[in-house]
Amino acid sequence: MNSAASSTGANGATGATGSLRKPSLRERAERLLSVAGPVDPILAAVVVTLVSFGIVMVYSASAIEATVQHKDAQYFLKRQVPFGFVGLGLAWLISRIDYRRYQKASATYGILAIVVVLLVAAIAGFGKTGGGATRWLALGPVHVQPAELAKLSIVIWLAYSLAKKGEDVMKSFALGFLPQLIMALFLMALCLKQPDFGSAVVLLLLTFTMMFIAGAKVGYIMGAAIIGSAAGAALVRFREYRWERIQAWLEMEAHRQDLAYQPFQARMSFGSGEIFGLGLGKGLQILYLPEAHTDFVSAVVGEELGFVGIALLCAAYVTLVVRGVRAAFKAPDDFGTYLAFGISTLFALQVLINLAMAMSLLPTKGLALPFMSYGGSSLLVNAIAAGILLNVSRHARDAEPVADPNATPDPPGVEISKDALA
Amino acid sequence: MKNIDPRRARWMKFRMGVLCGLLSTGLCSIVASAYNIQVKHGAEWRMIAERQRQKRLKVLPTRGSILDRNGEALAITIDVPSIAINAAELVRNVPEKQQPALQDAAAAKLATALNLPFPEVQAKLKSKRRFAWLKRRLSQDEITAVRAMIDPRKPDAVKGVMIEGEGHRFYPGREALWGLVGYVSGDGSGIDGVERAFDEDLRGRPDEISALRDRKGTVLFGDGLEDERALAGDDVHLTVDLGLQFQVQEDLEAGLRAFEAKSGSAIVIDPNTGEILAMASAPVYNPNDYGDAPIEARRNHAIADRVEPGSTMKIFTIAAALAEGKIKPTEEIYCENGSWTIGGVTIHDTHHEGMLAPASIISKSSNICAAKIGLLLGEQGLYSAFKRFGFGETTGLGLPGEAAGVLRARGRPWYEVEVASASFGQGISVTTLQLGMAMSAIANGGKLMEPRLVRTVTGATGQLVREELPTVRREVVPAFAARMVTEMMTGVVEEGGTGREAHIPGYRVAGKTATAQKADPATGKYDPDKFVASFVGFVPAQKPRFVIAVVVDEPWIAHLGGQVAAPIFRRIAMRALARFGVAPSGEVAKTAVTFPLEDPTPLVYAEAKAMAPDVDLTGPGGSVVAPMTAPSAFAPLPASSPSALPGAQRVIVPDLGGMGARDAAHALVSIGLLPVFDGTGSVTRQEPAPGTLLLQGSAVRVRLSPGS
Repeated sequence: MNSAASSTGANGATGATGSLRKPSLRERAERLLSVAGPVDPILAAVVVTLVSFGIVMVYSASAIEATVQHKDAQYFLKRQVPFGFVGLGLAWLISRIDYRRYQKASATYGILAIVVVLLVAAIAGFGKTGGGATRWLALGPVHVQPAELAKLSIVIWLAYSLAKKGEDVMKSFALGFLPQLIMALFLMALCLKQPDFGSAVVLLLLTFTMMFIAGAKVGYIMGAAIIGSAAGAALVRFREYRWERIQAWLEMEAHRQDLAYQPFQARMSFGSGEIFGLGLGKGLQILYLPEAHTDFVSAVVGEELGFVGIALLCAAYVTLVVRGVRAAFKAPDDFGTYLAFGISTLFALQVLINLAMAMSLLPTKGLALPFMSYGGSSLLVNAIAAGILLNVSRHARDAEPVADPNATPDPPGVEISKDALA
Repeated sequence: MKNIDPRRARWMKFRMGVLCGLLSTGLCSIVASAYNIQVKHGAEWRMIAERQRQKRLKVLPTRGSILDRNGEALAITIDVPSIAINAAELVRNVPEKQQPALQDAAAAKLATALNLPFPEVQAKLKSKRRFAWLKRRLSQDEITAVRAMIDPRKPDAVKGVMIEGEGHRFYPGREALWGLVGYVSGDGSGIDGVERAFDEDLRGRPDEISALRDRKGTVLFGDGLEDERALAGDDVHLTVDLGLQFQVQEDLEAGLRAFEAKSGSAIVIDPNTGEILAMASAPVYNPNDYGDAPIEARRNHAIADRVEPGSTMKIFTIAAALAEGKIKPTEEIYCENGSWTIGGVTIHDTHHEGMLAPASIISKSSNICAAKIGLLLGEQGLYSAFKRFGFGETTGLGLPGEAAGVLRARGRPWYEVEVASASFGQGISVTTLQLGMAMSAIANGGKLMEPRLVRTVTGATGQLVREELPTVRREVVPAFAARMVTEMMTGVVEEGGTGREAHIPGYRVAGKTATAQKADPATGKYDPDKFVASFVGFVPAQKPRFVIAVVVDEPWIAHLGGQVAAPIFRRIAMRALARFGVAPSGEVAKTAVTFPLEDPTPLVYAEAKAMAPDVDLTGPGGSVVAPMTAPSAFAPLPASSPSALPGAQRVIVPDLGGMGARDAAHALVSIGLLPVFDGTGSVTRQEPAPGTLLLQGSAVRVRLSPGS
């Protein structure tokens, strides 16, 4: 604890000297990575746990497909483990970069611009086709899924944009509502073009969520949501193949051999697990469940670890989101609050939609389970998001003593306050 | 939110709380759904999943082959490729807009390659089902075309096409093995014959598989499963010799045709080991319809038919009496000059004899003397003797449908008259196989063997799984008694015996004829027109190699065992001797064989003619005399059936009802049929019925009665 305090002090000192002369590269790096406080340990623990658990489940879910397709049971494991390490390293690194550095027009629009370029490139035909959609962009050995990045970038941009606008501005339609909506619709259109329906829905919901907490008028959001739903319904109803999917989803039993094959098999996976599951690595539904290691990894968890496993998994995600929201509550400024809450919502929405699809509460539209599903892009982007969230959590104690005395203080907070009294 | 004014902070917290509430609702529904699927209905889902796995796991291992003693295939399973499509795989990773075009293109290609109607293929591809058969049992051209189409190296390869081998059972030489080999049902389990009896060995071991199959049906993991032979069924090597079987079947069928018999069976047994070398049953039907044929048509007459054996039982009666010391081999018994009344029933002999020694009793086939010997043994003695010879119980062959036969038909010990009639084989029923096995006991010196149909069972990789060894069921009679009876039996085929037709030059033949009247099941009385003719014997008599039992049911042209069954026996015996290379003993008969004219039939003439065409058939004494210039055993034998007559055609039997004998004879002869008349007057009955198709040269039996 003392070391943390002293490092803060050192940080302040370097900052002071830095203003006098041009800082060396080393000093700049040190300043970049200097931290305001300790990360939320629970948040960090949950992220590490989920990534590790995800790797285990990806192996269990993919071993057979890997053997059949690549003659190597560890084929997918060997690719996911490096991503896990890189992801966690990235999260650690980013958790040390002050989130306020992104609160600049150049940073946020820069990220957005990159994402748009990647999305356009993917659509324009440079992309790799996978799972029936052009979602991948091969950058050397790494396959980038621009849609994953788009979700995080819109959170950052919205946080920046909304924090810039005051409460009064948010009340206006033209300034507080329309620009965000247009940006979201633009990105959504690019996602839909791939087509990536799931990401588009997540983008829209994120935008609504963040505008709502920033104080946009509920009426506008509700109106936009209703129009959006109607448009979505029309899109589905008047495209025969999409409508077939919906019908298959509604009458799963009748379509268990064709269009509803995957959700039906997923249900069988969940159900096979019953309460305690068949045991790790003993699931047999992976023989039948397509995409078991990607979008349907939760079904494998359900089969191998049972309802208990699913409940614990949900608990882990709940902890993640709760700690994220806590960071949002305690963030020192609007940008931090929006950022932390946006990222928490990003996690929450992806988890909920993914699980709902896996349990066929929603029709199947590919969406990865954060930290768990096989795939580098999703894992890295979520790790970066977790890193940002962790960094916001570092600033929590700044807010604590004065602003909210009623909040349950956690141990470091208590110690700090003693320091402050002394 | 330190730097935010408290009112706004509270507002934001409120709004975040609202959102968190919404998210919690979502979470609750997820957890509730998980609870519903996993805890509440988990067992049901698990069952569905297990059923799915079971379905996929049920590998049908290649069924083992049935082979003859020389390794010739009698029943084999051949993988015939069939083609199926995974319509979901076909359009996997294809944008939905391009799918219809792709499906149409693939359907067109497949329809052309498989000669299927385009709309049918198109419908299957559009269904998006993961498994649909396109065509079963492809030809070589079709499979080549499809293989080229799905070659993954080609950019436009059609995806999702699966070529699967389906085992189809083939029966080379089905006609010859009618009823013996049996058949398998559609799901691959043996239904009849050897297929059923050895189903356990043949079917393979599907439940020993620990392998898993994925959704495409590929075997994934498993111990040594690269080699599918580990699962395959075992091969069953029969004792049957396919070549001999063919010949026996042919001879039996020719005999049945020649004598217009209803059905018949013939068995060749190695008496020393109990091995069944051939087992023929006739008539046979279209072998392609075997599985669909009615039960009656599939009947293996050699094991399923219970017939009254008749005189062959005298052998076992006398053997038992000799063994018991009730009679001496030289002791003469009074045969009552052909008529003897016992218990109110009069027994007749065809030959009216006075005193006869046992050897003559056998060769002359005296019922009266056999009855007297039987009575010497007594009810208990005779019954237990027959029982020891294996009558009245199944032989242990193991084929389905084997009859046990009945000794005590009324379920109580015999009365005296029944003992008497049982002594010469009346009032009891036996199977051809039982006769053969009992005769084997005489031939091998008194040991009743268990019939052996299977020599070995080998695994698919050739390793020996099981060897069935010759099994002695019991010692029936001492060797001396068996030897004595054998010597007596050789007289049957010699001059003056009832079975001269069974004589084989160069070999000593021991045998016994039998002609049993058939009882009408409705009245229980003997039908004067229906007989079972049989001949059971072995060769060479001094060192028996083959026991041959021939039973002909309801022959029409002739009915005596010596006329009907003995020639069939001779042909079969000569085939077997030649095939197994048994050298003649040098005792080539110089005596002429006479064919009695008691019941002259055109077919006996025809046969005699064919054998010695340049000899005057009407020799002195009203007998057809043919010098024994019997053809070499290796030369093709002339067929005894009318179908072998050159240029014979099928003609329709005319209606002779009411005609006089002359008109009827004219009507038949004019179209190439031979009339056999019975009685005088006008035609009251004819056999076969009008309208029947007959080969020219066949006989039509006509009964005449004085006009009313």
